[in-house]
Amino acid sequence: MTMLDIFPNWLLAHGPAFLMALPLLLAAITAILPNEKIAWFSSFAVTLICTVTAFALALNNIQNGVSVYPLGGWDPPHGIALVIDALNAPILVLIAFMAVITIIYALPATIAEVEPKKRAPFYAAFLLCMAGLLGMVVTGDAFNVFVFLEVSSIATYTLVAMGASRDRRALRAAYNYLILGSIGATFFVIGIGFLYMETGTLNMAGMARILHDLEGGSRVAKVAFGFIIVGLGLKLAMFPLHMWLPGAYAYSPTPVTTFLSSTATKAALYLLLRFIFFVFDPDFEYVASVLTYVLVTLGVVGMLFASMQAIFQIDARRMLAFSSIAQVGYMLLGIGIATTASVAAGYLHLINHAIIKGGLFLALGAMWYRFGITRISDFKGMAKMMPWTMGAFTISGFSLIGVPFTAGFVSKYQLATAAAGAGWWWAVGVIVVTSILAIFYIGQALLLAYFQDPPKIEGRTVAKNEAPLAMLVPMWMLVFASIVIGMRGGVIVDASWRAAIFLLGGGQ
Amino acid sequence: MRDPHILLRVVSKFLIPLIALFAFYVQFHGDYGPGGGFQAGVILAASVILYGLVFGIAATKTAFPPSWIRIGMTLGVLLYGGTGVLSFLLGGEFLNYSVFSHNPSHGQHYGILAVELGVLCTVASVMVAIFYAFGSRQPGVPNIENANEDG
Amino acid sequence: MVFASTSHALPVYILDYGLLAILVIVAFAIIRVRSLFAIVMLQGVYSLVCAAWFVSLDAVDVAFTEAAVGAGVSTVLMLSAMLLADCRSAPVPISRQIGPLVIVIIAGMAMLYAVGDMPAYGSATSPANSYVGMDYLERTAKEIHIPNVVTAVLASYRGYDTFGETVVIFAAGLGVLLLLGLNGNAGRWEACPNGQCVSDSDSVASIEQSGSLASSREGETKPSKLKTKGADDA
Repeated sequence: MTMLDIFPNWLLAHGPAFLMALPLLLAAITAILPNEKIAWFSSFAVTLICTVTAFALALNNIQNGVSVYPLGGWDPPHGIALVIDALNAPILVLIAFMAVITIIYALPATIAEVEPKKRAPFYAAFLLCMAGLLGMVVTGDAFNVFVFLEVSSIATYTLVAMGASRDRRALRAAYNYLILGSIGATFFVIGIGFLYMETGTLNMAGMARILHDLEGGSRVAKVAFGFIIVGLGLKLAMFPLHMWLPGAYAYSPTPVTTFLSSTATKAALYLLLRFIFFVFDPDFEYVASVLTYVLVTLGVVGMLFASMQAIFQIDARRMLAFSSIAQVGYMLLGIGIATTASVAAGYLHLINHAIIKGGLFLALGAMWYRFGITRISDFKGMAKMMPWTMGAFTISGFSLIGVPFTAGFVSKYQLATAAAGAGWWWAVGVIVVTSILAIFYIGQALLLAYFQDPPKIEGRTVAKNEAPLAMLVPMWMLVFASIVIGMRGGVIVDASWRAAIFLLGGGQ
Repeated sequence: MRDPHILLRVVSKFLIPLIALFAFYVQFHGDYGPGGGFQAGVILAASVILYGLVFGIAATKTAFPPSWIRIGMTLGVLLYGGTGVLSFLLGGEFLNYSVFSHNPSHGQHYGILAVELGVLCTVASVMVAIFYAFGSRQPGVPNIENANEDG
Repeated sequence: MVFASTSHALPVYILDYGLLAILVIVAFAIIRVRSLFAIVMLQGVYSLVCAAWFVSLDAVDVAFTEAAVGAGVSTVLMLSAMLLADCRSAPVPISRQIGPLVIVIIAGMAMLYAVGDMPAYGSATSPANSYVGMDYLERTAKEIHIPNVVTAVLASYRGYDTFGETVVIFAAGLGVLLLLGLNGNAGRWEACPNGQCVSDSDSVASIEQSGSLASSREGETKPSKLKTKGADDA
């Protein structure tokens, strides 16, 4: 392939380590930079380089298959290996790309939302968060996942609490997130400990092999599976474990909300896929029953319940947060059906939802940036006040609902076909119902924005005040991505199928 | 009026250097016995914190300025990561210390020494930083009260 | 933790179970006591007993860390945090204690369920001791030439994990720096939209939060009307 020749060999060979070492080191440097402009620029450069690297690695994976990078020169199982395969390569690109989008957007947003002397450390914390997410996705070692989960989590708690300069409730939200996130991480690490007790290795491929030889393993492996599911469930906001999410999304600084909603829960979902289908095996009886009875049930209940709650929210960001919980339900449904087609659909929805929600949160953030708006009732006349921002919000909103020719439609359609193909007709019904509920909660904002006049303040209608270019460009990049996937999904649909085939084999 | 904590001050003045010395013993003896950068960093920070408890935060800050602490945090990560980058530049994998010397096991020694120093640096600085952050705040600042009501 | 280990003599068992019993008692005491000062001290006790127990389990490095961090530094940090907050914890209504209790019981039952299939503690044939663990013991002497295998594993074989842990510590320090400031001067800086505030629904503030967060305070959060301000306060 010619595309691959652009990239130097050392980048392809050392790319996996480069991908997290660079942001980690530059985060350390950025933290003490005296000038926020330099800090922004270094963060921007890092995220851009990471995106290019991740892209190169993904291409390399398509062409040359799985690559393993033994850190420290110690081959697994003795050392830690970084692995690039069909499952994690697209997620890496997604995280790095969303980081670039967020950093561009953060240039104006931090000026409004972050205290001047804290801006450089803020960017450093952001880089740490990204590096942690990349690190936990790129690694092939189960304990290493936990280490980088902690890196990203601790950086995230800080970032969420930074919203306190806009809304003091951010502190409470960050505290809730800290407690629940720590409980989740503890459950996860207990699970890893039990798995180590069962298999004697921490390398995920090694664990998979040994568990396969043991045909699922003893009760220790079963309990390990339970703890890992609960721990990851907390991190990815699986329905009854989602309490931390609305607050964290609603009150953190707007760039942080965007990045969190489009990457943090997605990385946890990736880990769920990795553990259920790669380390464990859906052929094990206990895994199969958890998939069918727990994940599907929670996914469906979450879809319905969170969609309903989204309708009754007053704060626009809380509305989108509940919608995120509902969308996680779609992905869990796809995972739970556990056919190649459904997992591909769930994976596709994961990527699409990251792009869609990213666009929506960016638009909401821009509205706050110009008009201090957080509530749906304040959307009055927004189409006249910020036409471009509202346009992006509208298209992303349509995509969230699943209107044809948008990304949301492609993945929902695939999920519905996969569910029908597996004979789960009632699940198709649930998908349709929740999409209708999405029309309600997105629609109420759109109605206000398009069919009401802008408010009057002191007798004068509020004038048009469009968001700056640094906000519009990333927003519309995501909108375009959403439309392109909707029109001709090509690359990303292929990637989701490759991931599903990698996990489950066969191509229905 | 005589200082009510005179005994404490005298004893700590005697103990603090010993604690710091013990930290370095733990650091450099980590290859042979229990210990290493993490424990040493905490013990080193404990000596600074003890100084802060007995002689007050202000005196501690003149001895260990907060700006050093910030740089120390960064320096530790850079030292650790830099070791990895160096091994990468010398042709090995990230964090492959064997390339540092002709004899791989010597290379491992150098590498372990460097990364343990990095850990020491970051851990000690962060522990002192947290102490400074809490210790420097006055209870009853309105800021704090609000934060408590919220959280 | 099963009785099959042969190398442990009776006094060791008595020591282990004695220490575990103390841990349980201290844990209950921490839950029951209302004075935060006592809680902080009891946590120090807990860590120290933990450290002693780790020594008895031959995990000297872990014990060292636990003693230095848990019993040493974190006690001071907790105390200094306590001084800023309050000296007594508010009583938690019994209705809010049931949920966590149920979760703890379920998690404990799950672990107990697994105990039956666990390899005996310290068993040489357990997967953890026979596979990679054994290799480390052999290879450290050949490849790294240092006597302390734990250091070899931490700093070299799994050095990347330790790098990650260092970054975790750094992230914690950065968080403190961002939220509190090293000089206690992280002032209250108000974020402000770079434009005109049009939010006009102060009246609905009290019902904004639905469900579980309903009890949180409102009021100081709403941007007032017509607050127009330049973008950069720098």
